[in-house]
Amino acid sequence: MKLRMSRFLSCLSILAFLGCDRMPGKPQEATPIVIGSPAWTQSTFNTNCRGCHSQGAEGAAIPLIDAGYWKVATDAQVIQVLEQGQGVLMPSYLDSNGGPLSSDQIAAFVKGMRTLWGDGSSGGQGGISGTVVAGNASAGSQVFASACASCHAAGGSAGSVTDPMYLKLISNQGLWSAVVYGRAALGSPAWNQPMPKHPNGLTPTEVADVVCWIAQSRPMSSANAQVNSIPKDKNVSDSK
Amino acid sequence: MNREALIQIVKQPVQWIEDRTGVIAFSTPLLSHHVPRSAKWWYVFGSATLMFFTIQIVTGVCLGTMYAPSASNAWESLRYIDEEIPLGWMLRALHGWSSSAMVVMMAIHMLQVFMHGSFKFPRELNWITGVFLLLTVLALAFTGQVMRWDQDAYWGLGIGAAIVDRVPVFGDQMRALMLGGPIIGGETLNRFFALHVFILPGAAIGLVGVHMALIMKNGISEMPKPGEIVVPSTYRKGFEERMEKSGVPFFPDAAQRDMVFCGVCLILLVFLAAYYGPFGPGGMPDPTLINTNPRPDYPFMWIFGAVSLLPPASETAIMLISPVVGIVILVAVPFLSNSGERAPSRRPGMMLLAVFVVMAIVALTWEGVTSPWSPVMDGWSALPTPTQFVKGRTPLQMQGAVVFQYAQCRNCHELGGFGGKRGPALDEIATRMSPDQIVRQVQQGGGNMPAFGKNLNSAQMTAIVGFLSTLRPENEADSSIPGAQLPLPIKSPLVVNSPFTGTGVPAEISAGVSSR
Ligand code: HEC
Ligand code: HEC
Ligand code: HEC
Repeated sequence: MKLRMSRFLSCLSILAFLGCDRMPGKPQEATPIVIGSPAWTQSTFNTNCRGCHSQGAEGAAIPLIDAGYWKVATDAQVIQVLEQGQGVLMPSYLDSNGGPLSSDQIAAFVKGMRTLWGDGSSGGQGGISGTVVAGNASAGSQVFASACASCHAAGGSAGSVTDPMYLKLISNQGLWSAVVYGRAALGSPAWNQPMPKHPNGLTPTEVADVVCWIAQSRPMSSANAQVNSIPKDKNVSDSK
Repeated sequence: MNREALIQIVKQPVQWIEDRTGVIAFSTPLLSHHVPRSAKWWYVFGSATLMFFTIQIVTGVCLGTMYAPSASNAWESLRYIDEEIPLGWMLRALHGWSSSAMVVMMAIHMLQVFMHGSFKFPRELNWITGVFLLLTVLALAFTGQVMRWDQDAYWGLGIGAAIVDRVPVFGDQMRALMLGGPIIGGETLNRFFALHVFILPGAAIGLVGVHMALIMKNGISEMPKPGEIVVPSTYRKGFEERMEKSGVPFFPDAAQRDMVFCGVCLILLVFLAAYYGPFGPGGMPDPTLINTNPRPDYPFMWIFGAVSLLPPASETAIMLISPVVGIVILVAVPFLSNSGERAPSRRPGMMLLAVFVVMAIVALTWEGVTSPWSPVMDGWSALPTPTQFVKGRTPLQMQGAVVFQYAQCRNCHELGGFGGKRGPALDEIATRMSPDQIVRQVQQGGGNMPAFGKNLNSAQMTAIVGFLSTLRPENEADSSIPGAQLPLPIKSPLVVNSPFTGTGVPAEISAGVSSR
């Protein structure tokens, strides 16, 4: 009798012990996420970039989930933007600048974004380069009249791009990208594509000229010197 | 071997030890001392607190053998305990739940002592050591939360550092002392580890010893009866006489109730631990991956509930002064009245006060749990501007939408149903405010909104006001555009590969992007 009781008890306790590992409180095993993996890239983008660059084509800043962008932009250019920031509103993400990512992580992140959203190319295609080059303002004013004024002239449907307040917030690189990539979803044309009056789009020189002309309206003051000086070596308005 | 010899074999070593230490002579009176017959179920809470404390020490020592107190390994070592050590998760669950249970039990014990006036003569020091025990245990709970080294820990430290920062003159030094440097990093964890496993438990054990010695010296108080008043000059004599006459020995009469209650508590504890599991660790304390809404552990929830209700102008004063005032009042309780009536029915004012304090703490805890006081820290970089607010905007207004993110307005304000809830949703702000009023609100802040005056230049201000002035319901027509839906807030289980494998997870938490 006694023996049976103790046998019963020990069976019970072994069962209880085994059962413990199946109790509801046992934490689920977490699946590790590898830095550079698609899941990591997506979640890093979701927490750090989506607010401005959006998850589609209609964000407040230039869309990055866009094959057209990755076709033109090179890894080096995007890495430079993430490490240095751009203009006044795009922060630097490098840890030594107070950002959250190490330079290794930035490189892995850029590679991951290209894999997720690019078309398989490594950038540098599409006729016009992704980085701003020097232009000529008076030639630019003619490009503007023929290609842009229909939408951007004073009182035009798309609003002014020569508003000094606007120009204080956007860098020359930002203007360049706005012209090259456009915003199809918002009715802003991409000028590396054919357009009605410009069957080949604009040439790189024409883009450089029009950006140079627009940038002239930016009020020069110490407060926005950084807008102009980024990227330093490619300052359009200095070069005419 | 005969019976006598057997007894002798057992007895001899016991006698040898008793001869050298006197442990039996010492503990017999502990067990057999008389306690009031009236001490019934009201008196079990102190013992239960002691039991939880013992569990904390035992489980804590076990955890101490496996925990890695370094910034790069702490979080991973908790996962290791949870997943690799058999029933390691149970150990962590018990340690976590027992810590909360201990705080609750302590509060109940204290409330009972207060309501029964047991702190009156000659037990003033019992009360005061109890108050310091409470503070030590709360400090243990706070430092314990830091041991998890996850986002909640990071956040709790951030709030703590911000409070310390407000101390006039010495703010910077005190912050450096607390964090071991200007930022939360590896030094911080070492500091809190030393506090959590050496300094505070040492202090607690010492205080428990003094508390127990005082109980032995002064006896356990009787149930209060209306009319039986405490007169310091005659109390001791009367108490001793009554104990002689009508007291019962602590063991087994009173102890059996303690044991039953502790047993029930223990079963509940194991159930909670088995069912709800360990606390955290939450997400990695890695600013790239902030995607949770960090909250303090329950014992501190009411403090943060209170902070969320404070008018901002008075925050500094209240946050710094009220803890000091609170502690002084608690310590002063037995000096404010150490004689007279003990019965609750004869101390209605005190009872009201106790009820008020309990209700305030419950209500503030509720506020802390439910209120959206905590800004969505990564709202600015994670929540996109809704499509309907982007379409048909001029370039300047578009930049305004970016400034709205950049200046972290989104952390407190919703657009399209996503964003912080600290301030009102701004979807239709243009119908409520003129551009001038918006400028004033943004520049001067007010009502829990910080003043942005200096932080936005004229272009940023113009752009943001330009953008906000377009937010009106007419635009709702646009929201039917396909693909305009927002994703749900991200909830992916984010675990970064182990730092052991060298994937470069930052070991130190820098100030992070969300604090800029
Ligand atoms: C078919 C009309 C149209 C034409 C032609 C056009 N744009 Fe635009 N553009 C728009 C619209 C609509 C927007 C608003 C969307 C936006 O702000 O991104 C816009 C926006 C812009 C922006 C601001 C982008 C931003 O995000 O800040 C710039 C800069 C710009 N256009 C430059 C030009 C230039 C330079 C040309 C001529 C080469 C041009 N646009 C031609 C319609 C046009
Ligand atoms: C606070 C809003 C904001 C956040 C958050 C943000 N960006 Fe930007 N980003 C901008 C703005 C605005 C620009 C254009 C700046 C300019 O040129 O003046 C920009 C420009 C860029 C460019 C350059 C585009 C080009 O070729 O001209 C890249 C690349 C970029 N961002 C990537 C990112 C990534 C990746 C993240 C997340 C890690 C991120 N951004 C987060 C606002 C933001
Ligand atoms: C820390 C949180 C916080 C941040 C950040 C914040 N606000 Fe506010 N905001 C509030 C609160 C709280 C109120 C309500 C103030 C009151 O009750 O008077 C408010 C009110 C407002 C109002 C008036 C709304 C109304 O319906 O009366 C506007 C407009 C506004 N904020 C704009 C902004 C802008 C623009 C920014 C970014 C530059 C910003 N807020 C950043 C918390 C915040």
